[in-house]
Amino acid sequence: MKTTKTIFQDGDHKWVAIVRDPDKPNYLVDTNEYLVTHGGRGLLLDPGGAEVFPAVFSALASEFDPSALSGIFASHQDPDICSSLALWLEFNPNMRCHVSWLWSSFIPHFGGSAATFVSIPDEGADISLEGLMLRAVPAHYLHSSGNFHLYDKVAKVLFSGDVGAALLPPGEDALFVENFDAHIRHAEGFHRRWMGSNEAKRRWCERVAQMEIDMLCPQHGAIYQGADVQRFISWFDDLQVGMAGA
Amino acid sequence: MTTALVAGTAKVPQAGADLLRIVRINEEIKTVVNVAFKINIMALNAIFLAKRAGTAARGFGVLSNELRVFSQDLRDCMATLTSLIHGCVDEVSRVLQDIRHTRLLREAVAMSSVPRLAEVLATREAENAGHQQQLASLRKKLQRALEDAFQLVELGGVLAKSAKIEAAYGQSFAVPLAQVSGEFDGIVEEIRRSLESLRRSAFFTGQ
Repeated sequence: MKTTKTIFQDGDHKWVAIVRDPDKPNYLVDTNEYLVTHGGRGLLLDPGGAEVFPAVFSALASEFDPSALSGIFASHQDPDICSSLALWLEFNPNMRCHVSWLWSSFIPHFGGSAATFVSIPDEGADISLEGLMLRAVPAHYLHSSGNFHLYDKVAKVLFSGDVGAALLPPGEDALFVENFDAHIRHAEGFHRRWMGSNEAKRRWCERVAQMEIDMLCPQHGAIYQGADVQRFISWFDDLQVGMAGA
Repeated sequence: MTTALVAGTAKVPQAGADLLRIVRINEEIKTVVNVAFKINIMALNAIFLAKRAGTAARGFGVLSNELRVFSQDLRDCMATLTSLIHGCVDEVSRVLQDIRHTRLLREAVAMSSVPRLAEVLATREAENAGHQQQLASLRKKLQRALEDAFQLVELGGVLAKSAKIEAAYGQSFAVPLAQVSGEFDGIVEEIRRSLESLRRSAFFTGQ
């Protein structure tokens, strides 16, 4: 089973990271899921693939009543992001899935109907969670052509999807980045290959550099906090991306 | 692993094998449809031949016309089988998806203690049973349609054999008429063999 770790709390406003499943088969990429709660309701960010549904559901249920989930935020369309959608909807058919308009007719192949999807326009949108306004921040081409991150300006937390992701070797499974220079080596190859556009990357860096961010939470690897957030943005800004070996 | 989980995973190869069997049945049906079309062309030629042979081949002409009708009936019958096959593909696909979802829901129920999830699993299992019943019903319908096709082919066989007899009365056209009626007989036998192999498909016998 995955473990949960509350990374921000102010009353019932919480950010919970759902991470690190020791029983996960090695052929599945490891993923982080995040739960934002406010006013007794919850929004699940990148709920993960179908095969990790049991581990994510049980971990989430240990922390929060899953029937109080109002929706899912899918940063993009990949299977490790939201192929579990049908199972979540089987549990609660009223859940809504917020996703880029670009993917709103593709993701239904994982599950859901026309009523399930709330399309996010390219410029982004506010998503209300019982009065808490969360901002879907454009991150197109990083790596998906219709890609969003989610910013909580009250908690000062940015869920950054695949940006900031690192494929950590066995044994290096700390929740937070402890040594930036050592950690970023596990992120470099991933970003060079998976991020497709230097121009998109530059625009994202300019956009998020203006935000107050205490924690930058990627979908794979460890969370950047404090000074490591700006350190990561600078590092990413300097990195040449969109490169393959062949 | 619980007994329920073992039972769930054991169904996957069965459903996967069913899908493969359905594909093979469909391929055999396509073969029969092609052959049925060939009978139609042959019967048309046989009608022209009978007209040239005149009154001596009148009976042969009537039978050739009946073989044309048989060819059309056979194609209609195969269209029904094809439509049932498509229904079976839909249902087996649902069953395959059910198996995966049920496995994942069972794992989640085993790992958590949310009562609502157990209800969701129970609903899912009831739906699974419905899909299994629907598949069983389609399987029976397919088997019945196959028997109907078989009966039709029996009739085709009688027509072909009667055509052989009629050919003998064709006087100067007896040889070409015998050749055509022999071809009819051969083709009907070919269809019979195809249908026999479909009858023996493990999709029906479960072996």
